Amino acid sequence: MKQFGKLLSYLGIAFLTLSISILLILLVGSSVTQAFSSFLSGIFGSFYSVSEVMVKATPLILTGLGVAVGSRSGFINIGAEGQLYMGAIAVTFIAFWLNDLPAIVMIPLVILGGFVFGGIWSVIPGFLKVRFGISEVITTLMFNYIALSIVGILVRTWLKDPASSLPMSAFLPDGATLPTLISTTRLHAGLLVALISVVLVWLVVWKTPTGYEMRAVGLNPRASKCSGISVYKNIILSSLISGGLAGIAGVCEVSGLHHKLLEGISPGYGYIAIIVALLGKNHPVGVVISALGIAALQVGSLGMQRMAGVPTSISSIIMGVVVLLILARKSLFRRLLTDE
Amino acid sequence: MALLSMKNISKSFFGKMANSQVCFDLEPGEIHALLGENGAGKTTLMNILYGIYSRDSGDIFWKGQEVSFTSPRDAIAFKIGMVHQHFMLVPTLTVSQNITLGLKEKGYPFPDRKVLNATIMEVSQKYGLQIDVNAYISNLSVGEQQRVEIIKLLYRDAELLILDEPTAMLTPQETEYFFEVLRKLRADGHSVIIITHRIPEIMSISDRVTVLRDGYNVVTAKTSDISEQELSRYMIGRQLQIIQRETILSDTGREGIALEEVSLQEKGRERLNSLSLQIAPGEIVGVAGVDGNGQKELVEVILGIRKQSSGKIRMDGVDMSSLSVLERKKLGIGYISDDRHQDGLVMDMSLTDNILLKTHTDRRFIKHGLINTRLVRAETQKAVEDYAIKTPGLNTPLRYLSGGNQQKLILAREMAGNPKAIIAHQPSRGLDIGATEFVQQQLLQHRSNGCSILLISADLEEVLLLSDRIAVLYKGCFLGIFPNTQELDLSQIGLLMAGKTSEARKESL
Repeated sequence: MKQFGKLLSYLGIAFLTLSISILLILLVGSSVTQAFSSFLSGIFGSFYSVSEVMVKATPLILTGLGVAVGSRSGFINIGAEGQLYMGAIAVTFIAFWLNDLPAIVMIPLVILGGFVFGGIWSVIPGFLKVRFGISEVITTLMFNYIALSIVGILVRTWLKDPASSLPMSAFLPDGATLPTLISTTRLHAGLLVALISVVLVWLVVWKTPTGYEMRAVGLNPRASKCSGISVYKNIILSSLISGGLAGIAGVCEVSGLHHKLLEGISPGYGYIAIIVALLGKNHPVGVVISALGIAALQVGSLGMQRMAGVPTSISSIIMGVVVLLILARKSLFRRLLTDE
Repeated sequence: MALLSMKNISKSFFGKMANSQVCFDLEPGEIHALLGENGAGKTTLMNILYGIYSRDSGDIFWKGQEVSFTSPRDAIAFKIGMVHQHFMLVPTLTVSQNITLGLKEKGYPFPDRKVLNATIMEVSQKYGLQIDVNAYISNLSVGEQQRVEIIKLLYRDAELLILDEPTAMLTPQETEYFFEVLRKLRADGHSVIIITHRIPEIMSISDRVTVLRDGYNVVTAKTSDISEQELSRYMIGRQLQIIQRETILSDTGREGIALEEVSLQEKGRERLNSLSLQIAPGEIVGVAGVDGNGQKELVEVILGIRKQSSGKIRMDGVDMSSLSVLERKKLGIGYISDDRHQDGLVMDMSLTDNILLKTHTDRRFIKHGLINTRLVRAETQKAVEDYAIKTPGLNTPLRYLSGGNQQKLILAREMAGNPKAIIAHQPSRGLDIGATEFVQQQLLQHRSNGCSILLISADLEEVLLLSDRIAVLYKGCFLGIFPNTQELDLSQIGLLMAGKTSEARKESL
């Protein structure tokens, strides 16, 4: 009965979301059937469109995974965006510094570099949290602006491509680029990196004693302390992993997709990551599913704009609506969820 | 005509009956005790009356008129007031502000505080409820806070006072004084319902008593017509088992746990003051004292959760002062905290994961760096069987287990592997009599296995029942350590618990 009620409540959310999207489409004066068919064909219409969903999902999986790892140990990471950019800086810097290394050495090196840079960007707020009790929600958010500004400075100064007048770096050396998986698409090996990360995070956080400690600290720091688990150590560790994963997302975007550093490499992946983690219930598998879902929503809405003239901003509104409904689910559908 | 009459009240939570067809009558000017074990439905019944819970069925009549309160505000409007077990006071406000909180007095929103204080003082003097109206709640003792709660109700003209476990935190002397106040209230025409599970108190204060068991009312009788033995039989449904304690002579050559002039300063206050104590293997030392006199600090210093400012703590001769919590636990110390939800368990984790809280660093459970889930599950299954933990499954989050079963899981975890010492802080808090007996027997069992046990309990009876020696803790000092024998002078312990050293000395002369 309870399971059934739960199912019904999710169906209710789907229904409400659908109604609101129909309302919005009508509001901008488009045909609903055309909008939906163009939305679906935007996702499933061609081999290329499906691969685009994967391309968008790659950074969302990595950043979402990062936010999820942080949340599990009580570190609310709002700074995946900045950590992603730190990872992007790392890959560009390392690639130009050691430009003649072969790919087999270079790729692992830039991934490690991205992890360390992103990790540092998140460990600092982590340290401030455990040492001085400063809220990481504020510091990680502020660190986003710092990271973005650092990128802005770098692409106009040291890392600027001298051959171009635009604020961007030169193309990375071949050894530092991730191979494309399917030649006619933009789909790159970053997806594999993301999926390997998913498995590794699952192993570390769910199967090792250290991961157990991190989860225990997240659920009850006081009991953890009384059992001799160091809250300090575990928050530092989880903030490192959290930021590191977002840093790897930055590495994948630069060496897999753009092949150079520029200011707009992320259309807010780091913020959408918070939604990805929330919808995925902070679990690696859930994160993959919700990242694919949100990527599909964005890619589909592009199709909707092209063919039905519905602005893509509708997809952001729908995303917001879904999050609100999921958060409010328990009180909205209270009748269904209590056993009576 | 009865002042209050509750007829056939039923209430269920999640399919479990908390009250089944309970009937309850109250005469004007009577002190009526509501007796029952934890979970018998006493507080539920009163919360229904007070408008906190809604009833499933049944009727309530107040002065012959049918009433149905949907919030405490309604109840107070009908001059019914309740003091909860956990006080509802704002610690950062003064006594006077707390008492008038939420009332629109003359001159609201800027009432004349002097006039209000005069009224409060009048009430307080009339019933001997001495209080400083300008003191901040955070500086008051538990007994004083209770007085504030009662004045708060009297200030609102309550005719009926419902008191939920009012004596739980009081020393014997404070309790006696408190009963004097109740008698004055009765003489003045007030009625009182007192919820308790302490039979001797009922005999001394109440006019009538109603016993609840498992949500049913078993009996209502005049206190003068019923004996303590009968009451306890009604309450438990059987005779209480007397726990036998034989002295254990241990010559293991081990030292057990030893504290040497342990002190703790925190935020400029002396929390523990030069405590020295040795607990031999096979000995239970009970700490008597009113809650908040350094019990928690003492326990946490021994475990290393807090660090002492000076002094030494040894375990079988090993100085533990600089060891971490984990290292101390690995020396063989089991810890039962007084706050299982906060300190002892992760409520949103499963039974298996909560067993891991102690064993996750244990090499036995780790294979190739990963936790050996199969082994941990087997261990948990064994704990569930050995301790008869009632649970739908091993993966059930602890939140869905009853308090007694949660506590059993802690016992199973902390008593696994024959610990050399057990620090038990309120181990039977919030448990019903059956579970309490189980906990106590486990402690005695470990005592006979040569375990050094420190038992801290707010329940003096429990301390008396189990301890070989009793230490009285007051404001972070041991005011005395006594062998628990027939000659033990209870009133002396009571006076020491209240910090009255000179009177205690007089009494012992």
